[in-house]
Amino acid sequence: MDRAHRPAAARLAPSAAAAVKFARQFAAAALVVTVVVLAGLAWSRANPSLPGEGPAGPARPVPGRAVRNWAVRGHLVLPPGVKPQPGGRPASGGPAGIVGNDGSGIPAMLPGDLLEPVNLAVLRHTAMLEAAIIAAVIIVDASYRRARRARRSKRGSPATPAGR
Amino acid sequence: MGVSPAPSPAGTAARRGHRARVAARARLDFWFDAVILVGYTIAYSYGWTGVVIHEWLGIGLGIALLLHLTLHWDWAVRTTRRLLRPRGHDKLIWLVNLALLFAMTLCVASGIAISRVALPELGLSTLQTPFWFRLHALTAEVTVGLVPVHVALRWRWIARIGRRLLAWRPARRPR
Repeated sequence: MDRAHRPAAARLAPSAAAAVKFARQFAAAALVVTVVVLAGLAWSRANPSLPGEGPAGPARPVPGRAVRNWAVRGHLVLPPGVKPQPGGRPASGGPAGIVGNDGSGIPAMLPGDLLEPVNLAVLRHTAMLEAAIIAAVIIVDASYRRARRARRSKRGSPATPAGR
Repeated sequence: MGVSPAPSPAGTAARRGHRARVAARARLDFWFDAVILVGYTIAYSYGWTGVVIHEWLGIGLGIALLLHLTLHWDWAVRTTRRLLRPRGHDKLIWLVNLALLFAMTLCVASGIAISRVALPELGLSTLQTPFWFRLHALTAEVTVGLVPVHVALRWRWIARIGRRLLAWRPARRPR
């Protein structure tokens, strides 16, 4: 507080006050995110299984730069649970190599498949899915608002304006 | 109806400045959120991006989401305080946003935990347990359902600001 009984932030220039406010809110947001991450970590320690899945296995640390320059395009991706044999190689004229599949739902690592036009269907599928959900929610929301407005106009009270 | 007094030049300038500030904030929110949505859509399309772009984009999205939460912190606090009121307009939005906060944070965190390129590239080891793989897949599925709902619940604001921002305005010619 200063002599005029104003809080310290009131004496700051508008830009400085905005920066202080942003820093404060950023710290609060970071704290919330940290709490959620810690909750996830506690979950992984306490009961490392998810609905519909079995218990998790032991940790496997990955050494640094282990996957650099590993182009696996054209490799054979094994079915979930099938491990590639050590030293095993595909037949000549077949795929360039064999890649394991841990069945986690995460596709095998394919760093060689960056932004291939043939895979654009995946992006299209995601965009279509999002667009469909957005359209459905807008239709439901608009119908709900229209019904509520109609109900209010029947009662004779004015509808509240919508906005953010 | 009352007659309002003629605005003073200082008052008009202040009002214009305030309007410009509001517009600047709305513009920032609109474009920043649009970038996050597009970035998320691309990051979710793992089969198209491949692992390298997927991981770096995911880390970028984590930072963007922290900024997004910071920019809307006032709304979160205000709406949380209003939750106990019987007529809370934003209750559904608050619930969706809370679920999205959990899902997206865990999605990014589990993605970092199972990183195969980005973190090893930085010289950091990752924990690749099946739990984190499954958590990543599960939270990604939840997120892809919640993100469009999060967007669509604000469709009026998006339509209003988008109409203003994207409207074609012919440039004035100097006389």
